[in-house]
Amino acid sequence: MSAAEKMSRRDEMETLLPFYLNGSLEGAELEAVEEWLATDPAALAALGEAEAEFSGTAAANEAIRPPADALSRFAKALDAEAGPARAPAGQSWLAKVFGRVTAMPAGVAWAAAAALLALVLVQSFEQPGGEGNDFEVAGAQDDLAKLPFALVKFKPDARMADIAAFLGQNGLKIAGGPTADGVFHLTIPASTAADYDRIVGLVAAQPFADAVIQGRKPADGG
Amino acid sequence: MNAATETDRALVDRVAKGDRAAVRLLFMRHHARIYRFVARQTGSEMMADDIANEVFLELWKQAPSFEGRSEVSTWLLGIARFKALSMLRKKKEDWIDDDDAAQVPDGADTPEVVTMKEDKAAALRRFVDALPEEHRTVIDLAYYHGQSVTEIGEVLEIPVATVKTRMFYARKKLGEALKAAGYDRGWP
Repeated sequence: MSAAEKMSRRDEMETLLPFYLNGSLEGAELEAVEEWLATDPAALAALGEAEAEFSGTAAANEAIRPPADALSRFAKALDAEAGPARAPAGQSWLAKVFGRVTAMPAGVAWAAAAALLALVLVQSFEQPGGEGNDFEVAGAQDDLAKLPFALVKFKPDARMADIAAFLGQNGLKIAGGPTADGVFHLTIPASTAADYDRIVGLVAAQPFADAVIQGRKPADGG
Repeated sequence: MNAATETDRALVDRVAKGDRAAVRLLFMRHHARIYRFVARQTGSEMMADDIANEVFLELWKQAPSFEGRSEVSTWLLGIARFKALSMLRKKKEDWIDDDDAAQVPDGADTPEVVTMKEDKAAALRRFVDALPEEHRTVIDLAYYHGQSVTEIGEVLEIPVATVKTRMFYARKKLGEALKAAGYDRGWP
């Protein structure tokens, strides 16, 4: 090997040493460096020099101290932000997602379905215009504080398609949930207490309903 | 899986679903390195503070589009690099305030003068700081951020061969500076 060739190889190895040290080298380049370290007396000294650079660079970086209050300031800025950008909501999107979920076996974990409902809920709040979906979730335009509601827990083996169809057919909206226990806040489109009792009874009678707890009734109280 | 063992990608998945706690965890894991990276890029800790915050707000917004083709740390460094360059372009005439200027190597002293009373480690650290930005960045990304050749190429948007060329010249300059200061290490 000529002096020029030897220097060229040395240059190549010196270029790769930082990546050997940070553990990112692989394949033929890793083998080449290891072979060089094992056979060239100058290689170990070169490795020591690279290690010194490694330490010096780390020290130079660590000497820069981020502000101690960075996290608290970031948390405030984060709170002022809306949710992550997402694909436009719409019937086709929801239909596609429901298509996937409803294609699952009947015994699919309810947690997955609950998570989907929660996602749909958030989606609708952030991107109003979900009308035309299989069912609606209560949006910002609804005064949730005044609407009649019930708390509903669905059975673990309930099918999303059944629930979606029922909610859509009866004008029911999910206004919140699921809680850690899987309970949803369901708005009830009733103007009288009698209507409320009828609709809540209907919900409770569904095979997918595990438990229904009455919440706020219409103001007539009757 | 607890927060300490949850992977960065799993956390980004949670962020994509609107989990603000997950983005705070990622902030705690990566903020210091992103801050330092930008500070080294711009020479301004004030800009680093602003940009590092923006990087994580960008993470919050862009998490749903993260495809996982690179490591989260590489992705964040790429965002930081882009934002730093954008801000430098906007403020290229008047972005260094008096306080920050003191932190930027001015290159006024020769290596010999500066290192007369320094040991080799201190000299090396100073020489790393005094490297041209494009060389110092690959040194920082490899040695401090643990990035591979390919990842550095992604962060800086340059070909792999260019990464190697910059690394070669960065190390060559360090060797020459050390040699001039009386520390001959046998290469180059």
